[in-house]
Amino acid sequence: MTGLAIDDAAWASAWRLRSPADKLLLSGGLVLAALVLPAWPGSVLVGLAAVVLALGPARVPARTFGRAVRVPLAFILIGALTAVVQVGDGGLGWAPDAATQAGGLVAHAVAGSAAVLLLATTTPMSDLLPALHRLRVPDAVVEVASVTYRMLFVLLTSLSTIREAQAARMGHAGIRNSYRSSGMLAAAVLTRSWDRARRLSDGLAGRGMETGLRVLPEVLPSSPRFVASTLAGLAALVTVSALA
Amino acid sequence: MHIAEGFLPPAHAIGWTIAAAPFVVHGARAVAKEVRENPESTLLLGAAGAFTFVLSAIKLPSITGSSSHPTGTGLGAVLFRPPVMALLGTVVLLFQALLLAHGGLTTLGANAFSMAVIGPWAGYAAYRLVRRSGGGLLPGVFAAMAVADLATYVTTALQLAWAHPDAASGFGGAAAKFLSVFAFTQVPLAIGEGLLGVLLFRVLVVNARPELERLGVLRRTPEPDQAPVPEATPGAER
Repeated sequence: MTGLAIDDAAWASAWRLRSPADKLLLSGGLVLAALVLPAWPGSVLVGLAAVVLALGPARVPARTFGRAVRVPLAFILIGALTAVVQVGDGGLGWAPDAATQAGGLVAHAVAGSAAVLLLATTTPMSDLLPALHRLRVPDAVVEVASVTYRMLFVLLTSLSTIREAQAARMGHAGIRNSYRSSGMLAAAVLTRSWDRARRLSDGLAGRGMETGLRVLPEVLPSSPRFVASTLAGLAALVTVSALA
Repeated sequence: MHIAEGFLPPAHAIGWTIAAAPFVVHGARAVAKEVRENPESTLLLGAAGAFTFVLSAIKLPSITGSSSHPTGTGLGAVLFRPPVMALLGTVVLLFQALLLAHGGLTTLGANAFSMAVIGPWAGYAAYRLVRRSGGGLLPGVFAAMAVADLATYVTTALQLAWAHPDAASGFGGAAAKFLSVFAFTQVPLAIGEGLLGVLLFRVLVVNARPELERLGVLRRTPEPDQAPVPEATPGAER
């Protein structure tokens, strides 16, 4: 348990040992298909494919996936509704093809979110970051991002521990107390993060590692069968959408 | 407020990515230079990124009943300057998309433009303006955090309006719609985050003065041992 359900699912997923490049190809393809293909049937098929692959072969818990899909839903629904309300001379009203337009927006967004989640729930961040090297992102940036990933769980634990202690002392009773406690909480977590960074840096320097955290990358070989099925599946999606 | 995956048409997604790219690349160069000169800053910058991410896990009680979370971009701009925040903010947005399902990958460029570029620069400008006109640290921090949030929210609403113009009144009508719908959560959040920043800095000034001086937020105070001290008498050190 790390405290972030999506990250937990990624480490426990049946696709954890698949090559990150393979999974990037699949999810990236689905994300693009959700964006470019028409909402019906393209986005609907993409959404279905992402959900079936995640819950089926990748064995992501349905509860985790369902909860994660719900996160952007409030924004998507409010955004889509706002987009199809028309502001005319006679006040507010529905745009001429409001239902189709809103349906299309929701379908594109939900399918795209599901496709991103397929990657997120099967691939831990530490597998994805080395891929940034290949995109010619400077080493220093990838290292900062890796430290960010590794440190955020420690800080999340500090955050929940301090918050629990504050709540037990009535620190969050009433808005005034709650704000004061939140300010102290943020300050405590910030100073802890600095302290931890300094201690880590001293520890590494003491071991002669002054140019960064070098770790052996895990070798996760690409599967030609997976890549071939991905390409075939994406081609089928495009064909079905084009014919419909 | 993050634009969800798939909510922007392809041309807008590409356009905003191109618009955000120079700022993020500039930030990446600034970070690479900083790390080359001071290798230990990798860990400090990583910690700053992790803190910005974790800040979004703090729930702020809001007067309107909805609880919202701070974005931390104004705080980051004051502490680490806007160019570094352009990069750290983008990294944090990527993490939020992949670890929390907030935002998306094709909308990363648009979100980075509003939250990692416009927000920090507007917040930092407000901070400098308040400090230049004689305001203290705390009013400056309040302005930085509130303005960064407001600027991010206005930019996001305009991005949405441009992508989805109103059927009758075009961009103007759509901008009015998106600005007013999201104002319910975003305006209280901006004020709340400004207050949080003031409370946070009140603690930092007492407990983390050396760090704030090192980051250039506070002017260095003369070292105590530089002040004239009376000669120590033998046996007084105990």
